[in-house]
This record gives sequence, C-alpha cells and structure tokens, in this order.
Amino acid sequence: MQLDFSFRETWLHKINPSFKFILIVALFIHILFIHNINIIINYMIGTAILYILFTGHPWKRLLIISIPFILIFLTSSTSMIFFGKGEVTWFKWGLIHITEEGFFRGLHLGFRGLVFATLGIIFALTTRPVYLFYSLMQQLKLKPKYAYSFMAAVRLIPIMFEELQTIRYALKVRGVQSQKGILGFYHLLKSYSIPMLSQSIRRAHRIAVAMEAKRFSDTTKRTYYYLVGFSKLDVYLLIYFVVVIGTSYYFANSYSYFPIQDVRYNN
Amino acid sequence: MEVIASVNKLRLKFPGAESLLFKDFSLSIRKGEKVLIVGSSGSGKSTLLQVLTGLIPSSVEVPMKVENIKIPLSWGFVFQDPESQFCMPYVDEEIAFVLENLQIPHDQMPSYISYYLKQVGLSFDDMHTKTQILSGGMKQRLAIAAVLALESDVLFLDEPTAMLDPEGTEEVWNTIKEVGEDKTLVIVEHKINHVVDFVDRVIILSDNGEIVADGSKQEVFEQYKHVLIDQGIWYPDAWKDYLLANGKPRPQSTGWDSNSAITLTDFTGFRGKNKKIEIKNVDVFPGEWITVLGKNGAGKSTLLHAMMDLIKTKGVYTIFGQDAKKINKLSDYAAFVFQNPEFQFVTNSVYDEVAFTLRLEKWNLDKVSNKVEELLEFYFLKNHEHSHPYQLSMGQKRRLSVAAATVKGQPILLLDEPTFGQDAKNTFAILEQIEYLRSQGTIVIMVTHDLNIVEHFSTRVWVIDQGELTIDCSSSEYTKGMHKVVG
Repeated sequence: MQLDFSFRETWLHKINPSFKFILIVALFIHILFIHNINIIINYMIGTAILYILFTGHPWKRLLIISIPFILIFLTSSTSMIFFGKGEVTWFKWGLIHITEEGFFRGLHLGFRGLVFATLGIIFALTTRPVYLFYSLMQQLKLKPKYAYSFMAAVRLIPIMFEELQTIRYALKVRGVQSQKGILGFYHLLKSYSIPMLSQSIRRAHRIAVAMEAKRFSDTTKRTYYYLVGFSKLDVYLLIYFVVVIGTSYYFANSYSYFPIQDVRYNN
Repeated sequence: MEVIASVNKLRLKFPGAESLLFKDFSLSIRKGEKVLIVGSSGSGKSTLLQVLTGLIPSSVEVPMKVENIKIPLSWGFVFQDPESQFCMPYVDEEIAFVLENLQIPHDQMPSYISYYLKQVGLSFDDMHTKTQILSGGMKQRLAIAAVLALESDVLFLDEPTAMLDPEGTEEVWNTIKEVGEDKTLVIVEHKINHVVDFVDRVIILSDNGEIVADGSKQEVFEQYKHVLIDQGIWYPDAWKDYLLANGKPRPQSTGWDSNSAITLTDFTGFRGKNKKIEIKNVDVFPGEWITVLGKNGAGKSTLLHAMMDLIKTKGVYTIFGQDAKKINKLSDYAAFVFQNPEFQFVTNSVYDEVAFTLRLEKWNLDKVSNKVEELLEFYFLKNHEHSHPYQLSMGQKRRLSVAAATVKGQPILLLDEPTFGQDAKNTFAILEQIEYLRSQGTIVIMVTHDLNIVEHFSTRVWVIDQGELTIDCSSSEYTKGMHKVVG
C-alpha cells in the first residue's frame, strides 16, 4: 500500500514550523475565551478560507477530510442543544429539553469545535514532519535524540500498513473466519497486535543500532541539512490572524447574526 | 601488516542462553584484507561483527568480557535488512544524516551527497526521492553510500544481500567490489557465489563459536568442503554436489488424472482499481510443480494472491470443476505459504500452530494429535513442539509454515519464495518435502528466482512480465532455451 499525499506547495508550507506550532497553540487558548457566537462564526469563515484556498491539497481530499468535521460539529452541538439549561423553552419531550439559550450555546460549541479542527488540520496538512523536527531542534532546542526518534518512527508508518495487510491475508489463508461478539473482537485484536508489536519492537531496535553505527550521538554537536529560519511569510500569517480576529470582533458588534453577546448561562 | 581490528579471549553470552556463545575467542584482521566469515545460522557471525565494531556492548547491551580488543578507528556497517537501517524517508536526507553526525557544514552537503551516490552508481533526477520506491538492490546501495559517507577504511557487511533477488544481489556485490578495493572488508555471508572472487581470506565458524578453518580461500575451499556442506553454506558448487550425492532425476508429472484441476480463463487480478495480473487461458493438472518466474514487481505474488482470492478478481477460475468464487472456504482447497513465515503464525507454540486449522475444523482430539505428531516428525520439528514459533531458526520457521499451511492436505499448494533467505541445507530439505507432496499428487505453484529449482525440481514454468503470462512451457523446454541463450 502506498500512502502518497502529493500536494502543491503554498506559502503556508514555507512558514517556520515552530512558529506555526506556537501560533496555533496560542490561537487554541484564545478561542476558549470567546463566548460570542457571532465572533466565532466570523472566525470560522476566516480559518475556512485558509483551509480551502491555501493548503495546496486537491479539492476532493479536502472534502473527504471535512467529513469528520461535520461529525464533530454535530456531536458537540447536539448534546448541548438537547440537554442544555435555559429558560426560554422551545421543545420538551422526556429528557430532551431544547431551550433558546441551550440551542445557541450548542451552536457555539459546534463552531468552536470546527475552528479547532480546521486550525489543527491546516497545521497537519502544511507541515512536513521532517521540517517540523528540524525546526524544533533549531529554534526550540529540542534534543536530537527525540527529534530523530520521531522522524524514524514516522518513516515506519507506511511499513506498518503493509504489515497490517499481510496479517489480514495470513488470517484468511489460515481459514480464520471472524467470530462475533466481544470475544471475537478480543481474538482479532490479539492476532493483529502481537505480530505487529513484535515486528515493530525488533525494527525499532535495528534502526537504533543502525543510527548509532552511523555515528549518531546525543553528546556531540551536529550540523543541519535543512536550515529552517524565519521569513516575511511568518509575519504575513500573524497579520492574517490579527486581521481575522479583529474583523471578527468588529463585524460581530456591527452586523451580528444573532442578538446574543454571551452564550454562557448565567443565573 | 598492521592489525586493524582484533579481539583476544572474547567471552560472550546472550542473556537466557544456556552456554557461552564465544569462549576465549581470538581473531585479528589486518589492514587491506578482504575477509569472508561463514558459518551456520546461530554460530555468532553477526555478533562477532558487532563486537569488532564496538556496537556490542555500547549500542546492543550483551554481557561480554575480553582481554584485549582493538576497534578500527573508523568503520562502516551495512546491515541485512534494507528496510530497517534507514532513519529518514528520502534518499538525500539519509546520507545527510551521516554528514550531520560528522558535522559537515550545511552548504557542502549537497555536493557530498551526489558524490557518494555516484560512487555506488545511483543517479536520480532529483536526489529528494523517497527511499520507499527504490528496489531492494538500490536500497542496499544507498545504505552503502551512507556508510561511505563515514569515510571509513574498514567496512563490515552483515549478509547485505540476504533479502535481495538475484539481480539486486549482483548489483550490490558489484558495487562493494568497486568501492571496497582500497578498503578492509569483513563480510558475513552464506550465499558466497558472488563473494568468492574478491575475498582473500575465509574463516569458518562452528556452531559453538569456534574457528574451524582460517586461511586463504583456496586452502579453505579445498580442505573444508565437508564443513561447508554440513553447515549449509551456499558455496559455488552446492547444487552440483547435492545432485551428485542424491542422483536426483527430474520429476515427471505424468501418471495422474488427465482432467485439469485448475482452469483459469481471462482471469484478472486487481489491486485497488488497477489491473495487475492477467491470465488468458491455462489448465493445471495434479502432480504438476509450476515455478513462476519474473522480475520484481512483474506480478508474481499478485498472481498467487489472486488465486487465493485475497484480492479482487474477474474471469473464470475453477477448481475441480467448481467455480472458485462460489467456494465458501478456499483454504480447504488451497494452502498458501508466505515469503515471511512469521506473518502467518497465529498461535503461541509450534504444536498449536500445526493443530490450529484442525481445531478450527473441529476434528476430534486423537485425530488432531496423530496428525500433528506425524507432521512434526516429517518436518523435523518434534523437539521444538513447545517452543514459540518466533523462537525458531529461519529454517525451522519455514518448515513450520509449510507444515501448518498444508495440514489439511489441500490439493493445491501456493508458495511465495519459500527458499528465500534459507541456507543450502534447509533449502534442499524443504524442496524435498515439497517434492514428496507433489509426488502424492499435490499441485505446487511456487514463485522463485532460483533457476536451479526450475531445472531440478519443477515440471513447468510460467514467466510473468508486466502483469501478463508470457511464457508457459515445460521446465525442460525452458532450461534448454536458457542454455541456448547463455552459451
């Protein structure tokens, strides 16, 4: 099995990975303090533009990736909509109690989940792991030991997919027909995980020895094949988010979708 | 001449092993020597290389004691498995990894990388190529390039071609010959045909870690041939001597039912949406041994997968007159043996492994134990019935995989390179066992690269080229044609 995600390189790919990482973590934290549903909707539009136009991946793939987003939106909003507290009742049936306040709070949560997911996926789609770890070593002084272990591990992922398929074939060849129920699931888990684990441990050990045979050591200094620095693009990304957040707040006040400033429930 | 690496009175024991692997073992290697170390699996050849480079005990923690040890100032190590010696996903990054370790300045790296790639005869339009798409031979040459980047005078090679096809094997040895000319080489290998030309000293290790022979290659090959045979080393005349010793006639597939057992018509196999194998029309008869030949990636394994219904297929495929697609459990009719035996083990002991399918079929206990005992006896596994399958040696694993696959006595046996990576002794043993099954009427369809098997064991040859069956003839016709081409 070949895992090949080819894409067009955009300016987002050229941003310093450590900077991108820290920026997105900061944005995550900031989002937690937004309680105005109008702001979060504008915010979502701003990140969606980045996702759709600048990740450089084909339309089809972007569309497929957004399927779980919808799921996140639905699950996080519905529970709040159905069971949230509120005073203006719209509908009541057994445990389900939909109120105006609960409804908007649910929508707000859904949109918040969407923004989170979009930001995360933008990072994942536009950052090559190798550059990320080179950047972490150079800008954030991550120890090479950890950086290279992760890079070696990333390399093993496609190999593991191949192994998974081989084991599937092997079980079929041996006449194993999947059993039903929890016990069946347990057997299935066991027959996949033990060979895969044992192979992975062995392979990891071999790679570690091979790395040391190539004079990899944590104590000596090293030079870098990729020098990851900063550029104007980093500033552009920062400006982009400042503008998105600024306009989100501005438009939320002057052209609001809903007449609600704070979705939290206050007595 | 100057001694470049040596150990004196080495004592080493693997945790859990019953006895010392090496007991007062001494060896020295002089500058410029090209040394070949042979020995059966488990004789400690690889361990010895790791001791001589200091990887044991610094990277691999194994208790050892030594009176004197000299480790070369700069050395390079090429490992067996091409897949698990890279730590970066791209060709250029892999060599750059070594250069980084040696603190070569960033701006000089690209020129170094292309220099080393050129030395091993690799050229790419773009050095930033994924290692994943390289062939096995190319991967090993890349590994050699990375080792050359260490600028070391001594190269240690631990069965660098054990996992390669004949083409890749030749590529790699030619490369080593070229780049190793002015270096000291220490080679561990059990397929020695390609190596004998350029080594000048041969060392044979015994099963208990002692030096049986050590001398020039002429001396050793003349005086210790019986040891080589005994240890299953693939020395140049291994096949010839085996045939002489056994007086083996070419098998005949006549005398069996003349109705075809398998029929394939316009049979195609798909991986994803791509058609990967197409067979226009063939009939297979009981008692036939078909070897499937072809380049890497031609579709040989895919053919076996298609016949085992592991991938999507179209067209006519009948087994004894029944439509294969309507057979509920194809594994009742066909047994499949994988290239890597470990992947087909599903239990925790040798006995359970063989009994597994029978238990699934709900055979009664006595019948199960009789059948299992019989098979363990036949495949020389009786003494290991309680071991975990993973603890067996390469040869034992292979035999167990065949035993476990064929336990139901299926009339069709599909094998994907069963002799791959096996030493001579195990290869002959497994071929004889398959031959026995064939002589009982089993249909054997086997993917291999070994033309000796075609000549001496199989009855029919299929050649697959770019997903199509291009040659279908008897083995004798094929080998005749082959000799014509060669000589």
